[in-house]
Formats: sequence, structure tokens, C-alpha cells
Amino acid sequence: MIARAVPADATECALILAEASRDRHTVRIIGSGTKSYVGDVGPTDLELSTSHLAGVIDHVPADLTVTVGAGIRVAELSAALARAGQFLPLDPPHADQATVGGVIAANSNGFWRARYGAVRDLLIGTRIALADGTVARAGGRVVKNVAGYDLDKLLVGSFGTLGVIVEATFKVLPAPVASSGLLARFARSADAFAAANAVARGASRVEACVVEWGEGPTWRLALQARGSGPTVERAVADARREIAARQGSTHELGNSLAAMRELPARAMDGALVRVSLPIAAASAFAETAARLETLAALVADPASGVVRAHLVGDDDAVVRDAEALLLAARVIGGNGRIERRAEPLRSRLPTWPTPPNGDFLMRRIKDAFDPAGILEPGRLAFP
Amino acid sequence: MRGLTTLLGDSKVLGAHDDLLIYEYDGAVDTATPDAVVLPESTADVAALARFCHEHDVPIVPRGAGTGLSGGAIPVEGGVVVSFARMARILEIDVPNLRAVVQPGVINLHLSTAVAPHGLHFVPDPSSQKACTLGGNVAENSGGPHTLAYGVTTNHVTGIEIVLSDGTVVRLGGKAVEDEGYDLVGAFVGSEGTLGLVTEITVRLTPLPEDKRTLMAAFATMDEASETVSAIIAAGIVPSAIEMMDQLATQAVEAAVHAGYPLDAGGILLVEVDGPRDGLDEARARIEAICREHTATEVRVAASALDRERLWAGRKGAFAAMGRLSPDYYVQDGVIPRTRLPEILKLVMEAGARHRLRVANVFHAGDGNLHPLILFDSRLGPDELERAKAAGLEILTACVEAGGSITGEHGVGMEKNCYMPLQFRPSDLAAMRRVKDAFDPDGLMNPGKVFPTPSRCREFAFASTAR
Amino acid sequence: MTGPVPLPYPNADAPSQELIAACVHCGFCLPTCPTFAVLGVEMDSPRGRIRLMKTVWEHRLGADAAGLDDHISKCLDCRACETACPSGVEYGKLVEGARSQIVVARPRSPLERLLRTAAFEWLLPHRRALGAFAKLSIAAKRLGMGALLRATRVGVARRMADLLDLVPDRASASPLRAMPARGEPRGRVAMLQGCVMGSVFGETNAATVRVLARNGVEIVDTIGQTCCGALHAHAGERPLARDLARRNIAAFEQAAVDAVVVNAAGCGAAMKEYGWLLKDDPKWSARASAFAAKVRDATEFLGDLGISERPGNIRRKVTWDDPCHLLHGQKIRSQPRALLAAIPGLQIVPLEEADWCCGSAGTYNVTQPELARSILERKVANIVRSGADTVVTANPGCLMQIQSGLRSAGSSVRVVHLLDLLDEAYGTN
Repeated sequence: MIARAVPADATECALILAEASRDRHTVRIIGSGTKSYVGDVGPTDLELSTSHLAGVIDHVPADLTVTVGAGIRVAELSAALARAGQFLPLDPPHADQATVGGVIAANSNGFWRARYGAVRDLLIGTRIALADGTVARAGGRVVKNVAGYDLDKLLVGSFGTLGVIVEATFKVLPAPVASSGLLARFARSADAFAAANAVARGASRVEACVVEWGEGPTWRLALQARGSGPTVERAVADARREIAARQGSTHELGNSLAAMRELPARAMDGALVRVSLPIAAASAFAETAARLETLAALVADPASGVVRAHLVGDDDAVVRDAEALLLAARVIGGNGRIERRAEPLRSRLPTWPTPPNGDFLMRRIKDAFDPAGILEPGRLAFP
Repeated sequence: MRGLTTLLGDSKVLGAHDDLLIYEYDGAVDTATPDAVVLPESTADVAALARFCHEHDVPIVPRGAGTGLSGGAIPVEGGVVVSFARMARILEIDVPNLRAVVQPGVINLHLSTAVAPHGLHFVPDPSSQKACTLGGNVAENSGGPHTLAYGVTTNHVTGIEIVLSDGTVVRLGGKAVEDEGYDLVGAFVGSEGTLGLVTEITVRLTPLPEDKRTLMAAFATMDEASETVSAIIAAGIVPSAIEMMDQLATQAVEAAVHAGYPLDAGGILLVEVDGPRDGLDEARARIEAICREHTATEVRVAASALDRERLWAGRKGAFAAMGRLSPDYYVQDGVIPRTRLPEILKLVMEAGARHRLRVANVFHAGDGNLHPLILFDSRLGPDELERAKAAGLEILTACVEAGGSITGEHGVGMEKNCYMPLQFRPSDLAAMRRVKDAFDPDGLMNPGKVFPTPSRCREFAFASTAR
Repeated sequence: MTGPVPLPYPNADAPSQELIAACVHCGFCLPTCPTFAVLGVEMDSPRGRIRLMKTVWEHRLGADAAGLDDHISKCLDCRACETACPSGVEYGKLVEGARSQIVVARPRSPLERLLRTAAFEWLLPHRRALGAFAKLSIAAKRLGMGALLRATRVGVARRMADLLDLVPDRASASPLRAMPARGEPRGRVAMLQGCVMGSVFGETNAATVRVLARNGVEIVDTIGQTCCGALHAHAGERPLARDLARRNIAAFEQAAVDAVVVNAAGCGAAMKEYGWLLKDDPKWSARASAFAAKVRDATEFLGDLGISERPGNIRRKVTWDDPCHLLHGQKIRSQPRALLAAIPGLQIVPLEEADWCCGSAGTYNVTQPELARSILERKVANIVRSGADTVVTANPGCLMQIQSGLRSAGSSVRVVHLLDLLDEAYGTN
């Protein structure tokens, strides 16, 4: 029987963790539960929900910062900021449901990363409830702060294994006044990536620049620019030129970016491989993946080097291809994981085939923060 | 000593009294003489040295160019100072991947100069960028004027090779934007040499902006200048830099570089916008209008690249130019929410007056990162530094009470470690301590820094006043 | 009560505490220091050397300490750090002050004393002796003495051989002659003949006179001028430097001129500091300051005056190397570049690290042969990389040093003084 706790504040949250530590009760932390597919957490003794640790705690528009409870949904925060003419420059998948705490814990980024930074770059402060029952603060509410260690960085992508994020402060930006985008189709991946790179590195700074593989094959390039009127016009004009120079056809952007972003939400069957590569390697990696028979979808962010490949089909083939892609990523200087896989593949396809560099330091840190090992057991289980 | 020489060779070890005296200081006010100085030429040297120190229980203190402003490179508990002056090669410039791989002794500006022909630069541009090293930047998580829009060092480092205090060599991250597992690169950057020695750094290179517009605006008072900063942000403009300078600082700077700042202004703003050429004139015109609405007495737009360079040379040489006003200065680095600028600046000046010391201000107004330079003359007696420190503490207390931080980019070092409890509660510090213990269980890496030490911090008993 | 603490430095030429106090140890000077670049230790950086001087004042180090001597000796006195320093630290004055104290505080070997006396008291101040020495050296070089000396495998002999490399192939000791202005008169100047310039680069002196005259400047005779004393001051021989300064001031005061023109950057820098050199001499300090205010480097004088007669065409690919004591010592940067640009036909290419010392630095070749060589090699590599066929500079020490470096690197790049090049350009008119 799984117990469920919904702490009302940081202190209560810490108390629950202290008791769990004492009793060796394992704990799973749940925001909206959108990314529970990552890693290998089995049933735990306790499910701790952050749904009452929510709301906007502090927002001073002229300081360009906002402090929120970790349980707030990103969509709700965005709406609140929009009312003040600002926005949080993050576009993670599971856009409707994902909570701020979950986005931090899972290091969940979208396509705006190269333009505005990732979660690690925008998060400037947190409050965390720790397994020993204490509440610790890291960072602060000012945009620049080097006092003490940057514990915020450790929390980003820690999947709740070090503590429960109860509060977070972000840098925010003034909302752009103009927006425009377009979609291009190419027959060859090289053209799509070359156009994407030319745009991403060009003078006009686009907000998102994504390449998607489709049956045929066709390679689609989705571009979005936001900012002041003249900069957006310039970005679109530059993009059209680069696309035309590579024989691409242009189309309405429509809803394509959202669809591309939500690939992790859709990829319920087979396996979803997510790799992070030196940016120049993304093109070759995508081309390699496109030759796999199991490839069902591929979305690449050439400006940040993050590529997701959804593989479906015969289990053996999926396992073989997924492992091959992860190996390829490592060989070319990147890294990756099986971000999501169907239940039957779980035992055959570990999230991480090899441990990351410095895993012994990670283990020491984990032991220091959670000596009883109660938090999210199995979530970051490196081989 | 003899053991070190045997291990590394004569040319890499300094032990003579006369030589050690020259490694007892950095860019700030604290001093302590090392027991030896080692000048490694490779990661292997560093690892050998660390193993030696580990075996003999000797503290290790890394040093870049010694430009630091918090005493980070001072061997306050003795031990071996490791100077990275001879590990100063750019190992690789990888244009397609927008990365460079460097040794820690490479000078910040030299990297940007080396990659400029490719239309790239390394974004963090601390005022000491002509001299400071990238290893030091990693240790301190250095900022600079242009971090307002583009972030600080931690936002531009993707990989490091480090040597732990037991001699273990670990490579973390790489050329990809992130690695799996905990972000150890992120935890290491800004750890002030207390977690390990960085021996190689992979940094992100950023395309140079297509164009820039730089404005200098003069105001009768610092209040008007501060309000202008908030007004610019409130108008939805995020410049790449907003710097502020008061009259005393302006005087020192003008004597040094003749940047053309008006000497009669109470406050000066330096504002830069950059990016695609198309939006720049509109942004510049809006900023200009806001400055004039806030009764700027003069607004000058840099007419040429040379003109812009001159305006920036003034700002970047400002600290170092203080020698023209005073033989010593004690610089603070507190951060406040930028909306609190006018009131905190007033408190800063009051603190100086209370301790009968002049204070010059030159700082990153857009970030709310203050740099009050408290001027004193140590030749007049030890009381001068004491008063400067007392004034500094009052300023930092005000910053923390305003919801800010005791340091925005200079680091805690041995200068402010006793003040950490102002900003952090015991549980906050305990959480940091866990990370320290994971990397450096024996406490040999740069001891006496960042964390309060019982011996030196006895006289300070703070309760955190942070919100 | 204890008695007064003895002064840590031997005399009043000590590096002044006031000047030391201007250093806020920011470290901006480190990357500009050639010895720090080679050695990588902070004792051999400007900031470190100032710190050493300071620790002597604090009684933590003796003025006779071996370390102090070693690191202060290794300084090139190129003063690149002064250009880099935002606080305006007058490093040249400090290091020369420190040297003057070390010379007194540290006993020297009899051989070194003899060499110093020979160089500073006999040779440099006496043009005829220096001329004879130059001729002798050139003869020795022609006879292949260098190889012979090297073959002896004796340290001193090999060092002498290195020195011989520096000696130019020809010396010209033609004395300086007065010359009336050509065309519309635009000024009246006296010129320093110089010891090395006078005995080895007499042709350059003559060229300078011709170029000035062509541009409407009258050059008058000066009776009784002597060596400027720069090398003495650099080496810490301040009393000797002061003697020479007094003689020069007296000599040049006789001539009613607009300026005293100097075509050796090292000499000009020293003469502009006569006021400082004689600041504690009540009889001479005012005269020295008045004199110093009239000193102009030839490139500075002509550059500020502006060229009135267009030089002829020279088709050559040239690059400019800033003499340290022109750029850092006298802050002269734009004028020589403007003069170079005024010669039609020249293709001017940039030189990386043009603001770096070539390693000549007075007697540095003799006292720090290995360091001088590394620093020279860096300069030579930059020159070769520039692709120029001619490197132009404006100081005798640099001319000799760079030429010797290029020769041993097997490069055919020529080194010329800017005034020689201008003279050549007028000759092609």
C-alpha cells in the first residue's frame, strides 16, 4: 500500500523526509508525474506530491526575477508572467502539465535553449527539503550570486535523488512584441542541417530552430523568431534566403514546433533515445539514425546538439538500434540515455549502458545528501 | 620541500624565502606566505603534486594570475601554492562545435583574441580580462559587464578536467551541452579552488554580435542614474550591459584613460545593446529617450569602434586606476535586486562616511552588482584597513537585508568567509559542506576559504538576515 | 625606547615609497612582461618586482638580498608594464631606483667592477674611445673571431661571441654637422649625437639631419654634449648618469633652440627624465626640468610638425616595431606610424607584438644572455610571420639586436631606422 503525502510547506516536507529516512521508507516525488518514465523507479513506500507547494511567491517585474513554489505548473507560471508582460524562457515538453519542480529535477529543456539558455542557466535559487529533515537554500533571488557552492546546478537533472525542490527562483525576460516562423522541407538531411546551422549561427538570433525527419524521407526545418519587429523580419528574411539557397520549400509553421517538442510525450511504445552531442555532429548522427529501420521519429535541435530518436518495431531490433545509437553518441564525443521505453523493454534496455564520467563523485554526493537511500531509488541507477 | 623538488624537478618548485614573499598576495588586501610554490607544466605534474600533498597532509592553493579580489589564492593555512602560469596553452579551437579547449593559465582576453578571426568570442569579460586566467574564471565563476544578457562563466563552460586532492584525475562533461547524471561541472565552477584543481577547460564560443550601440549618459545624481536603469528594464529592453560610475570613480578613470566621461556628473551610465543590426537603432533611440526623460545632462553615442573601446577602457580600468586616488582600496561585490539601487547606494555612502573613508562606486547596475571601492591608506596604520572592513561589512549586511548576496562575481575567498552566515543559515552551509566532503574529504583543497572557519571567524556571530 | 630604525635602502635614490604606493597589485602588467612570459614566475613580473622593493621597505628583505638582485637584474626595463598600468605606476623610475641601491648594497666581483668601470666610465662617455672600440669589434667580426671565441668553449668567450653578433657590419662615426633649413623655415633644433649613434650609426645621424633640413628645420651645432647616461641609469649608476646629464644640460642650454631632437629612443626617454634624475639637486633640478621639456624624439618632432616635402617612392613591404623606450618610455605611438604612412609605395603590414621588447634593453644581452635570446627569438618569429622584407624601428639597440636575431635565424629581412628610410625616400625624389 503506497502512502501519499501532500506537504503544505517546506518544513512539513522536510519532516516527512526525516521520518522516511528514519524508517527507511522509500520516497517518490511527484509533480504532475509527466516524466516518471525516466530511469527505473519501482513502487515506493511513499509518494510525495508537491501540489500544495505551489503558486507565485514573489515577482518584481523590474528585477526580471520570479520566485515560485515548485509545484506550480509551468503553464500557470507563464500565464501569470504574461499578465506582467514577461515570460519564462523555457519551453519544455509536457507543456500543459509539467511542474516547475519537475522541469528542474528532470533538466527538461525545449528548443529555446540555444537562444535563452537551459534550466541550469535560468534557475538562480532554490529551497530544498533534505532527507535529514532540514531545509536548505541555494543561490538566491538576485541574478548574479557566487556566494558558496552552486547547489542549484546539482539539483538540475538530479531527479529528486538529492532532496525535494520546494521553491525556485528564475530569471525572466520581457515578452517579445513580434513573432514569426516558418517551416521548410528538404530532400536531403545535409541541406536541412546546413540551413539550420547557417540560421542558428547567423547574426539574426532565432528562438527555435529544429530539424525533424519524416517518412520519404523528408527533412523538415521549423524556425521561430520572436523579438522586436525589425529583428523578427530580419530573422525570417535570413532564414528564407538560407532555405532557398539549399533548395528547400517553405510552408506555414502552424503547430509543428509544439508537435516536435512533444515527441517524448508521444513516444509510449518502443524506445526513445535522447542524446546530447557536440553540435557539429548532430547532422551526421541524424543521418545515421535515419538509416535504421526502426526509426519512427527523429527531432534534432542542431543549435544545442540534442537529438531524440524514437525507435519502434521488433523488440530485438529496437534494443539493438537503441544501443547502437547510444554507442555512436559516445564515440563522437557526446552522451545520452534511453529516455523512455515500453514496459517489455525495461529489463533489456537499461537507461544508461555505461556510467557517466565522475560517477564515483555522484555516488558520494548522493550518499552525503541521502545516506539512507530513500529518495527516488533506481532513478539514477548507473551501471 | 625537498620531496617536492625530487618529485617535480628544481625548475618547477620555488622554496626560497625571497621568492615565497612574492606569492603572499593577490589583487585584494589579505596576505599569507606559502610554504612552497609549484609551477606545474602538465596534468601529470598536478596529479603528482596532489598525491604528494595528500600523503603529507599539506594544503593546496591554486593560483592563476593573482588578480582575484577575495583572497582566493592566498595560502591562509599555509601549504603549497600551485601557479598555473606555465599551463597556458590554447589546446584546441573547434569552430564547427563552437568550443575551445584550454589550459587553466590561458588569459581570458587571449582566448577571445585567438578566436576573433572566426567571428567568435568567449563571453565572460571580467574587467581584469587582460590579465586574469580562465582557470581563475572557473574557480570564481567570474562575470563582467556583459553578463547581464549573456551569463557568467558557468554558463559558458561545458567540460573540465580536474585533479582531486588525492591526485585522482577526472574528466567531467565535454563538448556537448550537458552530460548525464549530476551536473558536476556546474557544481565545480565557482567553487573557488576548494573542490579540486582544474587542469583543462572546454568552453563555449559565441558568435560575435553583428553590431553594437554604446551610449554614455551623464546625470546630476546617482539617484537619477539608478532610476534610469530600472526604467530601461521596465521598458522591456535588456541591454547587453548597463554600467554605472560615480563622480569619484570617474575622476580616477579619466586620469587613467581619458575616456571622455564628464567630470562634473554625479553619476554616469554606460549602456550597450548588441545583436542583429536591424533592431539596434530603435533600441538605442528608446534608451536615449529614457535617459533624457530622466534628466540626463549629456547623452553620447559612441560614433566608432575606437570611441566605444575608449568608453569601455575607462570602465574596465576603473579598479586598477584607484591607485591614482589612494594607495589601497577594499572593494565590495554585494548584489541587490536592481530596484533597490537608490536606497542601498545611499547606505553605502553613509557607511563610508561613518568610518571616515571615501567610497568610489563603479559597478554592474543592470545586474544590481555593486562594487563600492572603499579607499584607505594602510601606511597610516592598521586601523585604516579595520575601518575599511567595518564599512564593507555594513554594506554587505545591507545587501543581504535587501534580498541580495555578499558576492556577485569576486567570490567569498578568505575575505568574506566569516560573513557567509549573514546570507546562509547553518542548514544551507551544511548542504554545501556535503559537496565539499564528497570532492575533498580530507579538506586539503584551499582551506580557510568559502566556509567560515572557527579560528578566524570567532569574532563574527551572525544570524542570517536573508529573506 | 629604541633608536631610529635604520633605513633599509642605502641612499636617497631608493625606489620611492610614494611611487610604490600607486601599485594596487591588480596584475594587469603580468601578461605584458616579456620576462614573465618566458619564466612564468611572479618575481620576474613588474608587480612582483615592485613587491620585492616594498618588502625591503618593510625590513623583510635586505637591499643586498641575492633574490632582489637576481630579479631586478632580469628586468628589461622595457616599461611595457607602464603602458598597461591603469594606476599610472612609474615603473621605470622604480626599477632604476632599485638598481642604484643594489649596486651600492651588493659587493661586486673585481672583474665585474672593472667591466662596469670600463663600459660606463671610459667607453660610453668618450666618443673616440667608443668609435675605436666599434671599429675594433667590426674588424674582429670580419676576421671571424666569433667562431674562434665560440670554439674556445669558455663561457665568457662565448658571451663575447654573442656580443660580436650584435655588431653591425659597418660603423660610421661621421660627426654630426649643422645644417640650414631648406625652404620655408619651420623650426630650429639641436640634436643629440649620442654615444652609440655617434660612433656606429653616424650615417643615421646624418640622415636625420638631412630629413629635418628638407622639412624646413635648421640644425645647430652643440659644443660639449656627451652620452645621455641612459645606460648608466638603467644599470643603477645614477651618480655617473647625473654627471652626464649636467654636462648635456649645460651644453644644450647654449643653443637657443625650439627642441633637442634625439633619434635614439632610449636616449630620448632618459633625457626626458633628467628632471627626475636631478630632482634632489637644488642647483640643477629646475634647469633639468626645463631642459627635459624640450627633448623630442626625431619621429615625434617630425610627426607633430608634419612633413612639408613629399618623400619619393619606395617599393617595399615594411613593418614597424615600436622601440620600448619610444612607445612605453615616451608614449609615442602615432607619429612614427604616420611618417611611415607618408612614404609612397610602401606596403605596411602589421607586426604581432610590435609593442614587445626585442630583448636588447641596454646591456641586457651581456647580463642575461639566455633570456635575451628567448625574447629575441619571439620577436624574430613575429617579424618573419609578418611577411615584411624590412622592419623599421628607431633605436640603435633594437636595430642591432633585431638584425643579429634575423641573421642567426637565416632571414634576409632588413632592419632600418625610420629616419634612414625617410632619407632614402627623399633620395629617390
